[in-house]
Amino acid sequence: MIQIDINKKLHGANGEMDLCVRLDILQGDFIALAGQSGSGKTTLLRILAGLEDSNGTISVEGEIWQDGKSSLMPQKRKIGFVFQDYALFGNMSVEQNLLYVQKDRALASKLLELTQLSQLKDRMPSTLSGGQKQRVSLCRAMMNRPQLLLMDEPLSALDPTMRTKLQQEILALHKEFGTTTLMVSHDPSEIYRLAQRVVVLNWGKIINDGTPKDILLKTSGSAKFSFEGELLDIVQVDVIYVAIVAIGQQLVEVVVSDDEAKALEIGQSVSVSTKAFTPRLKRV
Amino acid sequence: MSYLVATVKQIESCENLHIVAFDYRGQTLRMMSLDLADAIAIGTKVKLTIKPSHIALAKNFEGELSCSNQLQTTIVSITNGELLSAIKLDFLGTLLESIVTLSSSQRMDLRVGEEIVALIKASELSIDEVIND
Repeated sequence: MIQIDINKKLHGANGEMDLCVRLDILQGDFIALAGQSGSGKTTLLRILAGLEDSNGTISVEGEIWQDGKSSLMPQKRKIGFVFQDYALFGNMSVEQNLLYVQKDRALASKLLELTQLSQLKDRMPSTLSGGQKQRVSLCRAMMNRPQLLLMDEPLSALDPTMRTKLQQEILALHKEFGTTTLMVSHDPSEIYRLAQRVVVLNWGKIINDGTPKDILLKTSGSAKFSFEGELLDIVQVDVIYVAIVAIGQQLVEVVVSDDEAKALEIGQSVSVSTKAFTPRLKRV
Repeated sequence: MSYLVATVKQIESCENLHIVAFDYRGQTLRMMSLDLADAIAIGTKVKLTIKPSHIALAKNFEGELSCSNQLQTTIVSITNGELLSAIKLDFLGTLLESIVTLSSSQRMDLRVGEEIVALIKASELSIDEVIND
């Protein structure tokens, strides 16, 4: 069990904010940390890693990492940290990057094999692709067999195919090492694939905590097919109205009635939903 | 999903709203739609599609119904689950599927081989693809 009960005053872009998090995490769990930027996700990871101070306590499997009196040094905490921008040592080869953490050649070789990097072990980071760099960074994070693996949007700079591949490797490593993992992510498909639990932070507080399906399936009533978008226009056609809504990178049209059209305002955030029985699913 | 291959025989329009009539083996089907693909014109052959949960059934029905599509079909099979009933229908050589509640299916005492009217609102019929041949 990992028990977190911390608070810290933050001075963010949106003014002063109290980061106040109480969270119990079971060993071996994979938790996705979601929430808008500036909600305190990265700071929470940095506090867990010991890179930032805070008030309160952190205990990991009975070991106190931080309490009111003292704080364990970052290098004494059994953590692995994967950053979005890889943060590899540019003057060291792939293998040296791993061995810098722990002089354990057997483990390094096992990790490189698991992530299909064995043939690249003597290469310098600058000669690697983004996906390869992030794999090295992931391997390096596993070198001290972390009790807690912290990942801050590790895949957001990668293309979708590479992302899916790395998601599988992350999951494989998480299981192989029995690590407890906390990953910041905004990608619903990633969260659904990897995490057993999603914790949503907003303005420094936990506002939602549950299974990916419960949190991500945005539904109301019996609608199971629901998206949020911006209402761009409402056009009258014959006796009906057609609402044009921007959802993500796409525009959709929805037929609405006279009364519905009158109650809506252009520019509003709206949810577009229907029951699970209605939409059609087709390969593209 | 149920599919039907039909030919466009009439298009009525009001701005970007359209009612398209299709010919399927001498029967007329009607579809309500917003903007149509450019390829859709009189004579275009299309594959139409209907969700099974959008096909209602009527037996010995008398009176007027607003449903634009009232198809004379024959029941080919009935598969009953715990709550739902999946009924396969033959419509002039094409197989359609209707999913209704088991209680409706039992109340109507549906039997294989029976003639039954399949009801589809024009707003629930859609074009799956244009068939080029």
